[in-house]
Amino acid sequence: MNPEATTKTTYRLPIGPIHPALKEPVAFEFEIDGERIVDVDVSLGHIHRSIEWAGMRRNPIQNLYLAERICGICSYCHPMAFALAVERAAGIEVPERADYLRVIQAELERICSHLLWAGVAAHEIGFDSVLFLTWQIREKALDLTEYLTGNRVTKAITMIGGVRRDITKDMHPMIHETMNYFKDNFEKLRHVYLDDKTFKMRSQGVGILTKEDALKLCACGPTTRASGIKKDVRLDQPYFAFGDLDFDYVTPDVLTGEVNGDVYDRIIVRLLEVKQSIELIEQCLDQMPKGDIVSEPKIAKLLATLKKAKGEGIGRMEAPRGEVFHYVKLDGNEYPYCWKVRAPTYSNILPWMPMLRGEQIADIPIVAASTDPCMSCTNRVAIVDTDKKYELNKEELHRLSVEKTRRLMK
Amino acid sequence: MTKQLTPEEIVKSFKDEFKTKIKDTRIEKHIAGTKKNELIHIWMNVDRSVFKNVVKHLMTLEEYPHLAVTSGYDMGKTIKLVYHFSIYFGVRYREISLNITVELPKPNPTIETITDLIPGALITEQEKQEMLGIKVKGIPKDKRVFISDDFPKGIYPWRRDEAGPEKMIRNLHEVKK
Amino acid sequence: MAKGLSKSFKKALWVYHCNTGSCNGCDIEIIAALCPRYDVERFGIKLVGSPRHADALLITGPVTRQMEKKVKRIYEQMPDPKAVICVGNCGNTGDVFYESYNLVGPIDNIIPVDVHVIGCPPRPEAIINAVAKAWVKLETLEAK
Repeated sequence: MNPEATTKTTYRLPIGPIHPALKEPVAFEFEIDGERIVDVDVSLGHIHRSIEWAGMRRNPIQNLYLAERICGICSYCHPMAFALAVERAAGIEVPERADYLRVIQAELERICSHLLWAGVAAHEIGFDSVLFLTWQIREKALDLTEYLTGNRVTKAITMIGGVRRDITKDMHPMIHETMNYFKDNFEKLRHVYLDDKTFKMRSQGVGILTKEDALKLCACGPTTRASGIKKDVRLDQPYFAFGDLDFDYVTPDVLTGEVNGDVYDRIIVRLLEVKQSIELIEQCLDQMPKGDIVSEPKIAKLLATLKKAKGEGIGRMEAPRGEVFHYVKLDGNEYPYCWKVRAPTYSNILPWMPMLRGEQIADIPIVAASTDPCMSCTNRVAIVDTDKKYELNKEELHRLSVEKTRRLMK
Repeated sequence: MTKQLTPEEIVKSFKDEFKTKIKDTRIEKHIAGTKKNELIHIWMNVDRSVFKNVVKHLMTLEEYPHLAVTSGYDMGKTIKLVYHFSIYFGVRYREISLNITVELPKPNPTIETITDLIPGALITEQEKQEMLGIKVKGIPKDKRVFISDDFPKGIYPWRRDEAGPEKMIRNLHEVKK
Repeated sequence: MAKGLSKSFKKALWVYHCNTGSCNGCDIEIIAALCPRYDVERFGIKLVGSPRHADALLITGPVTRQMEKKVKRIYEQMPDPKAVICVGNCGNTGDVFYESYNLVGPIDNIIPVDVHVIGCPPRPEAIINAVAKAWVKLETLEAK
């Protein structure tokens, strides 16, 4: 391609994890040839709030609350992975009951997040009513979260050495009732997403990520499982109580028998994971052992132990979007010496490049949304693809995507 | 799938290959759950001159190692980078985390890129360049990732010396009098 | 609904949302306000895609350096009379991000704010209450 003959195109595409009205500007520069994308380039950067720097000035317990606000949707995974890292660095043991309680909360968050994503994906294709249907089902999950922890979004249930609240026997009926509600509605969701002709036309064969590309670019989470790779931190390196539970990797061939690595496969993987989460929660409720919920209930004593601790630790967790990774180095001071956060979208941005090559412009929203990007976790990504330069904003891209759906429906 | 080695064999294969350039190795075993399954973390300190060969040797153990991220911190006279790899994913209970620390002297903080071996390392290498002021030789795209272009050059947020961000800090609770 | 709101609304309130670097917690609750459980659309409130059509601005997040100019531009593009609603603790005081090298301060350092909603994140009911208060203010402004 002759660089002087072509002109540069910049698309300002805000891709928020939710409604397109969310302005998380992701600047795309595409090189286009007619309607098809020839090359994509990536660049990052707008929600940088200097969290890791601030973490070096606060003690580990204050950092838990800071970690929670890295991202509102994965607001359970970040403090949990941080707690895992600190526990391993300082040598704190977690009681068994706390491990099971942590699993229940993690799987509940996974259900909320996947339902949120399903609504967003439907909106990007153009079906607003499916967005409302999915989010209405999600409200039940949020009600359960509020019943168990006290808040809908930022739960603050993590503590280094365990959890802060217990799930007693009298809470079980409410949990079972919500799980039954999900089981009843699962078939409805599956029918809408997987059997509908227009969904299939928009998502099959679009945004393909090959197995080799996914391995080389170190993708993680449902994005990579949809390409057929078995990578799941809950099974590879079991933390909490996942080593005791009975489940397996979720890849698209469980349902359809073949793996294509396109957007349709990612929808399949996420819906199957919702079903898997329901089963895991029920297994946990049956098998929960008795005991303490936290290894050191008095926070002042815990802080005194942490002040003297020296060591480094890593904490890895399977968030709804992929692998969350935290590294903490303690060196006998009140504040950690180093704290590194790596959110799953960090690794899932580079795969956008091979996924978007050869696609039409109208497919950009659904392909980018299919990796479930959470920009506030990543501090934004911009995809730069060189060529003609003109501005297209998010609304226009969304409009193009919806128009394509209407065309296909005829 | 290549044959899976035990953690002790993995450490031994690195030590046999690189002899004195590998120091301070340790194997940590953590337990989880009621069945007490083990999680294995291997840590090792590697000399800068053999770093790229170490990564190539790692790729003989696992064809596509998973690089999670690289952490970095300022130790006063040197800068330490920790590369967090993990291998043997795909089979339950088998994954092993491998953390490779490299120390760079502050007057000359350079290191070779590994994006030709593992393309997924691009963003994390760019981040270390702008946050710690190191130079990655051979990086395909040299540009800022998280910090905006109008942030002054020469200020590196994670440094604890005079190149740190002290001048740029703002307290949002301040009230103008 | 808030006191002072007339029984027949003169027009539907159109709202534009802007995220200046928040964690998305507040943004999820804003979208949840549109969903059938809380359903603000029955009052005629809807989210629009461009600031030029909007009457009220919902803004979240502590403002990062990169977003400062964009926020000012959005505020200028909105036609008068307009109301600005700052949702969440980050925009009001900074919350946990009170000290940073990349943030330029609470939102009222940059644009004038009419209604503050506190909470981390505030519940959808609180957001709807805030939009109703902004509506009252707009109606009184228009009456002048």
